[in-house]
Order: sequence, then structure tokens, then C-alpha cells
Amino acid sequence: MTALGTATAPAVPPGGLVRTVARTHRTALVLTLLVLATATAALAWLHSLGDEARAGNRACATPPTDGLPSCAAVEAITVDETYASGLAVIATVLSWVMFPVAAWAGGALVGRELESGTAQLAWTQSVGPLRWLAAKLAAPAALLTAGTGGLVLVNVWARGDSNPNLAGDWYYPDVFVSTGPVAVAYALAGLALGALAGLVWRRALPAAGVALAASLLLHSLLERHREDLWPSVTRTEAGSFELPRSALQVAWADSPVNGVPVTRATFHPESHFWPLQYVETGLLLAVAATATAAAFVLLARRLP
Amino acid sequence: MTDTAIEAAGLGRRFGRRRAPALDGCTFRLPAGRVCALTGPNGAGKSTLLALAAGLLRPTEGGITVLGTTPAAARERLAYVAQHKPLHPQLTIAGTLRLGRDLNPRRWDARVAERIVAEGGLDPDTKIRALSGGQRTRVALALALGKRPELLLLDEPMADLDPLARHQLTATLMADAADHGTTVVMSSHVVAELEGSCDHLLLLGSGRVRLAGPLDDLLAAHTLVTGRAGKALDPHTVVESRATGRQLTALVRPAGPLGDGFQSDRPSLEEVVLAHLRSPDAPPLLLDRRGAAV
Repeated sequence: MTALGTATAPAVPPGGLVRTVARTHRTALVLTLLVLATATAALAWLHSLGDEARAGNRACATPPTDGLPSCAAVEAITVDETYASGLAVIATVLSWVMFPVAAWAGGALVGRELESGTAQLAWTQSVGPLRWLAAKLAAPAALLTAGTGGLVLVNVWARGDSNPNLAGDWYYPDVFVSTGPVAVAYALAGLALGALAGLVWRRALPAAGVALAASLLLHSLLERHREDLWPSVTRTEAGSFELPRSALQVAWADSPVNGVPVTRATFHPESHFWPLQYVETGLLLAVAATATAAAFVLLARRLP
Repeated sequence: MTDTAIEAAGLGRRFGRRRAPALDGCTFRLPAGRVCALTGPNGAGKSTLLALAAGLLRPTEGGITVLGTTPAAARERLAYVAQHKPLHPQLTIAGTLRLGRDLNPRRWDARVAERIVAEGGLDPDTKIRALSGGQRTRVALALALGKRPELLLLDEPMADLDPLARHQLTATLMADAADHGTTVVMSSHVVAELEGSCDHLLLLGSGRVRLAGPLDDLLAAHTLVTGRAGKALDPHTVVESRATGRQLTALVRPAGPLGDGFQSDRPSLEEVVLAHLRSPDAPPLLLDRRGAAV
């Protein structure tokens, strides 16, 4: 029977679907590539300033003694400010990638297509709605993973020795997000949340708004509770002490015990960077996976 | 190959619990190879029925099979043009047709699609957003026909075409359907638009099937009678009767020979449809059963 033969025929190859996604979202694609190119060029330029910037940010002495340069000479170098503020801007941009991605995914990628009926147009072609959604998510996800991941690597390279006086400490929110895999996970979570909002609201503007609000909530929740994502270290000593420069202080208490002043510090040493990155990345990927699964279930339930 | 293009059994669709159902208990069968007019007043459920057949809606009651299978499984073999002709405004006409090729790699016939666009004198490099309503319709039809569908579902396809374009596109559509044996379902509330191009009728009213069957059989089943008022039309099913002074005009489904004193005429499609629309309580007539008057 023809009907059965057609139904069990091999699936339509996905190349056409991916080309269609690229063609219908060409503006977003071009804009993303432009942003990537600009950010990469900016980071390469910042990297080239690195050595000079570090020379402008070092110990000095007036008059110069013990091999230390004169402070007047060091202060005359201003490139370190350019370097530091450039890195800060890139860090902020990288840690906010989620917001435009979520708004775009909710609005342009899914919401507008359902609102205008072009989604239904695609669903009545030879590809089914679930394959349509898969391509809609997979193509931008691949681009975002490669783009954000690449930028994180270039960012780490541009930061050189990550001198905290120039590049910021590892635990600064923007620095933390922009120097590890968590940046990619934020972008993917934004994409998935946006797609889900688009499918739920089926209209571009509300979906974009809801996706953006959900992303802001997730981003600020994780930023606020980042220090709880991995067990912190506690150091208790009689008298007073100082934590190392790159420790993230969680709690600090000096209270006399039996008349002896005791200082109790709770903190994350720099070695907690990777465990914290992994836990946060895992949480974000779980959010992304849940939102994606919900989007597929919703679409499958709505259609015959 | 199944000989049935669409078959619905007790098909119903509700949008929200409080609202009246858009479709309610529809049972009909459309044989393959027909050009079917789907008509009815606004809100009769025409668009809902087409969306159900296209696999874009899930029925809340009953079921529908398309080309012998579920609408979802028949997706590759049917084409659907929605009422407002959704297309990507940022793409060019050529880009839109490329989309058709990419999404239907096993079926796409570029020549058919390009010919329909060329017949309208459209430049393939024009953006969709720059097109008029009628020109968009042409591109949407080109996209649908380029897929070489076995079943073509068209929701108000001719609504925003000028008379010349309407005539030309209808001719293209009919020639294509005749050449390939495509089943076409065309909805419209303009009956005159459908007469002459269709050979099957499905009339919906308030979500129910009022008339279904081959056009000729449906017309043959009705007689327009005129006679003196007060005469009984008893054994016959009266769809609508109007008395003007002593003159009685009625559309009936004769159950046998009409009595003396009546003058009978063959009604036009428009007369049959209008009579049914004016009399919502007239019993439905379904001549589409397997073996019945085909």
C-alpha cells in the first residue's frame, strides 16, 4: 500500500531544514557573527596591550629603589586602565549573552512563527513539527556553543596572567561567568527558555518578555547563591589573620572565646573555581534540558 | 492507493469548554480525485475542518483520516494554504520557493512552482513583504503546488484575487488537478466562485455537515417548485418554502413524482446553498456514502 510505504520511508535528510532555519533567521545569524568578530578583534587588541598594561600596574617606589621602577614612570602608563575597562566590558557582554538569546528565541525564533502562521506552513511541508523544533533549537545551539565557547577561550587568553588588579578577581560575577564553561550553559539555557516561552505564549512580544524575565530571574538567583553551590572552607584562628587576595569571603566573625579573640572566616579559595563552574554549568544544562523537553512535549501534545 | 481522500467520523473540535463547538459530529467521505467545494456561512467551521485535515489541530471528538492514514502521517502528501497565506516576509519569492524545495526534498517540482509565479508576472527577487495580497496568494499556491500534493487543502484561496487572476489561477489549479489526479478541497463562502470548477460539495452550518456529495447528485436531488399557495407538498422534504401572495416557491427533495399543479425547475447551486443557509432546520442530505450515488 502506498500510504504505508510512504509512512515508513526514510526520514527527510535534515540539511534542508537547517538551511531553512539559517535563511529565515539570516539577520540574527549575521548579527551574531558580527558580534563574535567584533568581540574577538577587541580581545585580540586587548591581548596586545597586556604586557604594557601589566608594566603600568606594578609595584613602584619613589625614588626608585631595589629594582622597582619610579612611580612617576609607572603612573605615566595609562594603557592599563584601557586594558582593565576593556576586559570588564567583554566580561559583562559575555555574562549577559543569555538575555538577548532568550528574548530572540521567544520572540523571533518561535513566538513570531506561531503568531504569523509560518510555523504551521513549515509543519505542513514534508518535515514534521518535532523535527522543525529540533532544527530550530539545534542550529542556534550549535552556533551559540561554538561562539560563546570560543569567546571564553579568547577571553582567557586575552586576560593573560589574570592579574586581579587588571582583570578582576575570579569570583567577580562577570569574570566568573565569562571565563568558564558556565557562559555556554547560560546561553543554552536562554535559548531553551525562550523556545519554551514561544511555544506556550504563541505570540512574539509576550514570549520575548517572559523569556527575558525568566532569564533575569535565573541569572540573578544563581549569582546570589553561587557561593552555596560548593562547600566553603572555614578557617578558625586565635587572633586576627587575613585571607589571601583571591579568596571569596562568605562569612567573617571575630568573637572572643574565653576572653581570647578568635577569628572565624568562611570562604572559597581560588581552587574552588572549577567545582563551582561545574556545578553551575550542570544546573543550567539541567534547566535547558527540562525546558527543551517541555517544549517538545507541549508541541507533541498539541498536534495530532 | 486508497480511493478516499478524506473521511471523517463523528469529527468534533471545541475551542474552550464554554464556547459552542466549531465542529460537531461531522461525518463525511470525500473520494479521491474530486475537486470539493467546502462552503458555509462565516464561523461554520470551514477553517477548523481544513486545519484538522492538515494535521494542525487535534480533534476533540471523533476522528479523521486523510489519504488512508492519519493527517500527521499524510503530511508529506498533502499541501495546505491557510486563510491569511502565511509566508516569511523577509524572504524573496525565489527564497520562498527554495524553502519549499528544502522542506520537501522528495517531492519538489521547481518547474510547476516557477511557472505559477511567472504567470503572475512576478519577479523572483521581490521580497514577500512587498507583494500585494493577491500576489502573496499566488506565491502561497506556487509553494503548495510545487510540493506535488495528492491532496490540496485551500482555505479561502481566491478571496483577495482580482477577477482575472482568480480565473487564471483557478484554471491553473484545475488543469494541475486534472493532470495529476489531485484531490482539491477549496473553502469559500462565495458560492458563485465554486460553481463550474468543483464537482463535489460539502456544506457546513454551525459546525455540522448540511450537504455532502457529488455536485450533480445534490443538484438532481433538489427541485425548485412553484405553484399555488396552500397546496400540500406533503410526501416531499421541503427545504425552504416561501409564499408571495398566492404564489408558492419552494425548494424540495422530491420523494416521488410531484403532484399536478406544480411547475418544477432544476435549481442552481447557489439556490440550493442559499435555501439551506436560510433554513438551518432543514434535514441534512448526505450522498457521499460508499456506493451511494457515486
